[in-house]
Amino acid sequence: MKIAADRLLGFALIGLAAFVAVQAINLEVPFNYEPVGPRAFPLGLAILLAALSLALVFKPGPDGHWPHGALALKLLLVLGLLLVYTMLFTRLGFIPTTFMVVAALAWLFDATWGKALIAGALMAVGSFVLFTEALGIALPTGYWLSAIT
Amino acid sequence: MFDFLIQGFGVALSPLNLGLAFLGALLGTLFGALPGIGPINGIAILMPLAYTLGLPAESALILLAGIYTGAEYGGRMSSILLNVPGDAGAVMTTLDGYPLAKKGLAGPALGLSAVSSFVGATIAIIGLTLFAPLLAKVAVMFGPAEFFALMVFAFSSMAVMMGKDPIKTGIGAVLGVLIAMVGVDSGTGVLRYTFGMAELYDGIDFVVMIIGLFAISEILLMLEHANRPDSENEEIPPLGRVFVTLKEVLYCKGAMLRSGLIGFIIGVLPGTGASVAGAVSYTTEKRLSDKDGTFGHGDMRGLAAPESANNAAAAGSFVPMLTLGIPGSGTTAVLLGALMLYNITPGPMMFTERPEVAGGLIASLYIGNVVLLALNLPLAGVFAKVLTVPRWVLVPAIAILAFVGVYQLHSDLMAIYLMLIIGVFGYLLRKLGFSLAPVILGYVLGGLMEQNLRRALSISGGDVDILWQSGISLGLWIAAAALLVLPWLVPKLLPDNKPQENVEDD
Repeated sequence: MKIAADRLLGFALIGLAAFVAVQAINLEVPFNYEPVGPRAFPLGLAILLAALSLALVFKPGPDGHWPHGALALKLLLVLGLLLVYTMLFTRLGFIPTTFMVVAALAWLFDATWGKALIAGALMAVGSFVLFTEALGIALPTGYWLSAIT
Repeated sequence: MFDFLIQGFGVALSPLNLGLAFLGALLGTLFGALPGIGPINGIAILMPLAYTLGLPAESALILLAGIYTGAEYGGRMSSILLNVPGDAGAVMTTLDGYPLAKKGLAGPALGLSAVSSFVGATIAIIGLTLFAPLLAKVAVMFGPAEFFALMVFAFSSMAVMMGKDPIKTGIGAVLGVLIAMVGVDSGTGVLRYTFGMAELYDGIDFVVMIIGLFAISEILLMLEHANRPDSENEEIPPLGRVFVTLKEVLYCKGAMLRSGLIGFIIGVLPGTGASVAGAVSYTTEKRLSDKDGTFGHGDMRGLAAPESANNAAAAGSFVPMLTLGIPGSGTTAVLLGALMLYNITPGPMMFTERPEVAGGLIASLYIGNVVLLALNLPLAGVFAKVLTVPRWVLVPAIAILAFVGVYQLHSDLMAIYLMLIIGVFGYLLRKLGFSLAPVILGYVLGGLMEQNLRRALSISGGDVDILWQSGISLGLWIAAAALLVLPWLVPKLLPDNKPQENVEDD
């Protein structure tokens, strides 16, 4: 049997269906006044999912193009940046974090360093003013600022 | 009978709501026109921000409806000017739209598409005004069993009509329903699939879900588009004269009117949206009026037909959403979720209990439609410039909007992490050839489907016969089965015909 993306997906989804089913069966229901409890519907879904996934295993579609090499690395970098954005969002505050992340993202999307830094500065300050002043959203200012003042 | 509409115009014509309809149309067109964003992503990104404005429900809905119709329109710009369809509904628009732009008729093509969109949407909104209250009266008789059957019908029509691969559409819908299962079970208070995480007890939040699924996955996908060699020569052809002449519009009037009707009917069917409407109307129009073989080479009627139809379908899909609570497309599923944020559950009771919401929305569709035409005819050149926004500006902007949108609703970093996880999940699904519309439809309908099934069986004391006892539900089951079987059966019964053609038309 040829290894295809859809086959792998099919097997993974059968695993997911099994997991869903086992979790549903193991649910502890302390009381229930209805004929159908919380188990039946997920169980039905698991069976449906398994059946559809099996069809996928036997009739996989074309593989499509998957990123590799430099592109895959860039993809991971973008994801990593978004993670860093999340981690520093409240700690450093909106403006400095946004400045760094926007500049780095812009650079990853082929802007020159100069353009990327300008975009970062303009977007960070501009969106902060827009969100806080015009839309009244409270954005994190960061712990360091409150430590200084 | 049309009291709700008069009341609705009273609501929609207040200065605030009129301004919001205008703002929505403008923002929607801009976001829909942005390269790679498209209508559904545009609404997903703008929705949480609309929520922060603290508007009353009917005003928020008017803003969102403006964004929706505006985005549907703005999405056509890249089809006509760049041959890149913004979403599935716009594929047919490229067939004659891009050749027109190549002939130097980009300006008239944009103008014609604005006029056909207006005509199609107007036909559908009139249809909505006439049929929605009638359907709401029928829908009042729906019990849980009928609703369950209706959802089964919606899913099977979706599996057949949406996307190329029915199996993947089905899997996508099941995954969406499974995601809706996370959290406290409303019937018994039992926790399901929460893995002991307190953040998941309330289920996976709607805003986190759509922003992750659409905005974050889009950022990841754009990286690949940016690195594709053919993206370099994206140059916008000169618009030429900006206005479309009356003669050209009249030349296409038959195509517009026919396609508007087709689009409305297809839009009303749950699960089938603009993409099917565009395809059916284009093939119909080609068969009826393509005498000289000009379709596909820049025939104006070939542009007018799908444009009229997919806007008619966009408005038509409000019929099942408002009267039955069943969205007709992925985008209306997002709108339905937005309504639920405001504690409004669309359904048959909405016309009697919240007429200001139902009527206000329909009235604002009339107004928004006029606003859109007024905006788009003179400003087509300005909106076309939006297409040249470079990705290195666009992507960080989407990231900021996504992060702030989720953060301001939850002030919780867990929600943002969850958004990123869902984003990667969405990216993988899209790379594997899934359409996201079934996933979001499954997610929105899943909870309702389970509730209705359990309620129906509670009424009957566990007897499953109740699910197909009434005429309505039996009819829906038969229709659902027919939908699943016919595309497979019909080509076998008609061996003389070309099988690939009649699947689409039946």
